[in-house]
Amino acid sequence: MSALLESLRQHWRDRASTLPGNADARQQALEAFLARGFPTTAEEDWKYTSLARLEDASLAVPGPVDLAEAMAAVERHAVPGLDGPRLVFVNGQLIPPACRLEGMPEGLGVGSLGQTLQEHGDADPLDRVVDLDRYRLARLNTALFLDGALIRATKQVGAEKPIYLLFLNLGAPGAMPLIQPRVLIDVAQGAALTVIEHHCGEGEAAVINAVTEISGQSAARITHYRVQEHAERHIQIAGLNARLDRDASLVCHNIDLGGALVRNDVHARLLAPGAEVELNGLYFTRGTSHVDNHTRIDHLAPRTTSREDYRGVLDGRSRAVFNGKVLVAEDAQKIEAHQSNNNLLLSRECEVDTKPELEIYADDVKCSHGATVGQLDATALFYLRSRGLDADTARGLLTFAFAEEVIARLGITPLAERLSGTVMGHLPDSERLREFT
Amino acid sequence: MLKIKDLHARVDGKDILKGLTLEVAAGEVHAIMGPNGAGKSTLAQVLAGREGYEIVSGSVEYLGQDLLELAPEERAREGVFLAFQYPVEIPGVNNVYLLKAALNAIRKHRGEDELDAYAFMKIVREKMKLMQMDPSFLNRGVNEGFSGGEKKRNEILQMAVLEPKLALLDETDSGLDIDAMKVVAEGVNSLRSPERAIVMVTHYQRLLDHIVPDVVHVLADGRIVKSGDRSLALELEERGYDWLQKAVGT
Repeated sequence: MSALLESLRQHWRDRASTLPGNADARQQALEAFLARGFPTTAEEDWKYTSLARLEDASLAVPGPVDLAEAMAAVERHAVPGLDGPRLVFVNGQLIPPACRLEGMPEGLGVGSLGQTLQEHGDADPLDRVVDLDRYRLARLNTALFLDGALIRATKQVGAEKPIYLLFLNLGAPGAMPLIQPRVLIDVAQGAALTVIEHHCGEGEAAVINAVTEISGQSAARITHYRVQEHAERHIQIAGLNARLDRDASLVCHNIDLGGALVRNDVHARLLAPGAEVELNGLYFTRGTSHVDNHTRIDHLAPRTTSREDYRGVLDGRSRAVFNGKVLVAEDAQKIEAHQSNNNLLLSRECEVDTKPELEIYADDVKCSHGATVGQLDATALFYLRSRGLDADTARGLLTFAFAEEVIARLGITPLAERLSGTVMGHLPDSERLREFT
Repeated sequence: MLKIKDLHARVDGKDILKGLTLEVAAGEVHAIMGPNGAGKSTLAQVLAGREGYEIVSGSVEYLGQDLLELAPEERAREGVFLAFQYPVEIPGVNNVYLLKAALNAIRKHRGEDELDAYAFMKIVREKMKLMQMDPSFLNRGVNEGFSGGEKKRNEILQMAVLEPKLALLDETDSGLDIDAMKVVAEGVNSLRSPERAIVMVTHYQRLLDHIVPDVVHVLADGRIVKSGDRSLALELEERGYDWLQKAVGT
């Protein structure tokens, strides 16, 4: 991978002087990353997902963004009907005219991370949550990220409207742009917040290496959406890292409906009694796409709870990986951890590798896990056909219904409608199927 | 309308129907009774076209054509309707849209125009009233979160809207309380007509108090072992199935 790593060094030389924040910290992060390089399939956590296709690629600093072009792309991709605070980034750069930040309730700060670092560069808020030794791709992000979002609820805000972060990634012929969004979410005691991270893109391949850090103080309530609708050649790596204090709760929705190669790592640490996390996931893979979800939940205190439900629909020659690790520390008694992963295989050529991993050192715990890999329910298929629907329509409807159960859990109607539409669009004969929903 | 001749069918290598012969004419209501495991539900499923049943021998003629040659959806479009014993829940697929698609598939097959939304809703509202169903059911997922009784009512609602020529009711009375059974029976009775045949599969005779059949058959060990009128059902209720099975040597 030396050509790749060399291109990252070049990246640094080109960019270092213009990047916001602490330059020394960035350089340290870069050196630490380069010392070990990208993960390879020789590592257990990356056994099924190869980044080898980056090897021959030359990663480029994203070029300047044409404002009119950016605004037109935002128009094409933004989810309509979300009228709360909005930050928009195109190829990693903030697009101020597309943002909406007025009327923020007192105690809630939403803004550009880059700007904040530029203005208060000394108080570096990065890398406080993420475990850099375990997730070293975050170092690459720390070294070279351009901008991102900084969201802080400093007192008991109950922000009614979701905060919408749109990351739009436009690839162009030639070198692949390396785009590295960074999101920091810090929620004070008793505050409630909803954040949507919407990653989408068009055009030629782009490489996205996104890092999100979420910190919830006691009794904070956080809902986080990571929705990915990339173009078919995009490569996305995303790391979501969270730490939750006493009685804090985090609900994460992870939806992947696009991309060529997608790797998501979720790492939640439940630090004090009463903390809870819920992960809902949906991936729809087609063609030759590859989507890998690795989740890890550390129960580090008694009476903590985790629930995890990932669903996958696979078609074509695509491949999916699900690895759900749950760690229960020695004194973390009376915890509950439940996990399920259900997969629907629509073709004979697709493949899924699913693996739960429980590491339990306490003795009074309630843990469950289950995984299924299968085809559509034959009775349901017969039911629809016995009502006069042809077999293809019946299959399409049941596939849609399988995915829709996850989408129905999304608490934001405009977002759910958008994603239902995207799922529908992935199904054969979608025009006809639309009439049924 | 329906002529089943010496039908042998098996599932997973096990013989279930072992020479079943039955004729049903238009305008008639037939009840097929029998002990558990006799093959009643298999018969209903085979007639509706469920995959997984191997037809070993025999024939089924429906309106002059070979029914067994047709795919399930083709049978539906030709006017065969099966009310399921366990209707399937399909969250995410809207009840009313399924109903509309089903009706339009049948109309299209018959060479009729598809109904517009207004004409369709008019029919549906009328039938829902008959089945005493709340209009909110329409906009829910198919059978999603319905109670057992609501699912059965929904089956009969579908049947009332689709107006089949041959209606097969598979244990429609199971899981119904007496009030729900009356509503379901009223729905079925409203569909009795000289052009339509109804075949009810049931374990208990109580449904037949409300939907009075023209002919009662006893199905035991894969064959019709006795046929008679309404009084046969009453006799079965009084004496159980054992005596009959002994009498016919099965």
